[in-house]
Amino acid sequence: MGDLLAVPRGWLESFGDIVKFTSRIVADVASLRVFKYFGETLRQAGILIVSSTLVIWGLVFIIGLQCGIEGAYFDQSTGTPAYAGVFAAWCDLRELVPLCFGYMMAAKVGTGIVAEIGSMRISDEIDALEVMGISGVTFLCATRLLGSMLVLPFVYLCSIGAGFFASYLAVVQQIGDVSSGGYFLIFWQFQNPPDVLFSLIKAMAMAVVIVLVGCYYGYNASGGPVGVGTATAKSMVFNIVSVHLIGMLGTQLFWGTNPRAPIGG
Amino acid sequence: MMILTGRTIVSAVTPPYPYGAEFTGQFLFALRLCWFPLLVSTVAFGYEAPGLQAANFLVLFGALDRLGGFFVLASIREFAPFVDAIVLAGVAGTAITADLGARRIREELDALEVLGVDPIKNLVVPRFLALMLVTGLFDIYALLFGIFGGVLATLVNHEPLGPFWATFFNNASTTDLWGSVVKTTLFGAIIAVVCCYKGMTASGGAEGVGRAVNQAVVIAFLAIFAFNYVFTQVLLATHPALTTIIK
Repeated sequence: MGDLLAVPRGWLESFGDIVKFTSRIVADVASLRVFKYFGETLRQAGILIVSSTLVIWGLVFIIGLQCGIEGAYFDQSTGTPAYAGVFAAWCDLRELVPLCFGYMMAAKVGTGIVAEIGSMRISDEIDALEVMGISGVTFLCATRLLGSMLVLPFVYLCSIGAGFFASYLAVVQQIGDVSSGGYFLIFWQFQNPPDVLFSLIKAMAMAVVIVLVGCYYGYNASGGPVGVGTATAKSMVFNIVSVHLIGMLGTQLFWGTNPRAPIGG
Repeated sequence: MMILTGRTIVSAVTPPYPYGAEFTGQFLFALRLCWFPLLVSTVAFGYEAPGLQAANFLVLFGALDRLGGFFVLASIREFAPFVDAIVLAGVAGTAITADLGARRIREELDALEVLGVDPIKNLVVPRFLALMLVTGLFDIYALLFGIFGGVLATLVNHEPLGPFWATFFNNASTTDLWGSVVKTTLFGAIIAVVCCYKGMTASGGAEGVGRAVNQAVVIAFLAIFAFNYVFTQVLLATHPALTTIIK
């Protein structure tokens, strides 16, 4: 039993550390100290665009297809195949696109940050920075946070587009129970700009947590090459659970039991 | 990776079978590491996506009792396997890559080969089998907790649970259940092969292991999602009885 509880106990212990560490990063960004290294921020933003966007869109595209076929079959079973658009709109915009964005952010960006900063820590590069009078937290972590905040909202909005396109392909072109016009009529009626905003807030909350957790595990890596690998694996565990929890809290907070739909009472 | 898959399967079925102890160790390792993240994730996911949002959709039609039927479709067929695979890949898969990558960097794998011990038979095969078994078994666990999320969503809507279970058991079919378990078992195989391959081919010192974990989890996620889509589509197309009207 002691072994079984090791994971949750480890989390509780590291949770306090993470909060303390991340508050330093956030303070660096909020107090605008990070703008000393604005060039580095832009470089990080560029790296993010070049290396991660396509794979995020790819994953969201596949989940859009998935939402499409599930929605089409579900609406067959309630006898309302023309309403497949509702399922696709909600499944994509409200739930699965934020979640998949979170998964891929955790997998690609989060572990990438841990591996990068972790190996800098192991090879004493961070100590070298500090000796030169450059704060490692500001230069490495705060720039990454600001860089991702500059880029990710746009990446996310595009990935919503990828998800929508994939659902359209699956529902209209593949299953074909509903015409293109009928699908889009329902599809656009069942969403509105606040939904996009809420969805964006949810995804950005996930992204911020993922970047911060990645920075924490990378910055505090220890124990040679093995330590970097272990820290990367640990950050993934933390991120997966926090993505799900943020998704759940966001849904409860923004939509709850109020569907915000154009029909019904 | 395909070569590794082939060699793993051949090596698993040809005698001798020296990997019993390692298999048990890996099995318990994955079990210990994953049970808690999986519990939190599946309850959160079940409550969130299929629970709240589908309940909102069904309330519009005044048909909240169909939520149980929807959970057969959503939880058993789709989301329990998928959350299960994501958590296993993110938790156990990354741990395997980090472990094997560290052994590669410290030249332990080369040492094993020099000693005449086949690393595939002794390291990859037990992880492959253990991960297949664990992912398959955890599917049931994920199902139970996913449905628990659905129960929570029903209660939040102030609805009785009777109709939920009634439509749930009316619609549950063994085809869905075995489809789900087979699917997750294959997910486990995908995760194990990708993560072992990336771990065993890690190179380049400290950064190499981290990068191997990074690539392993990205490839595993993409492979899981793509495979999931193909499998669901094939299952639904070959078993039209699954897509009949919710009773």
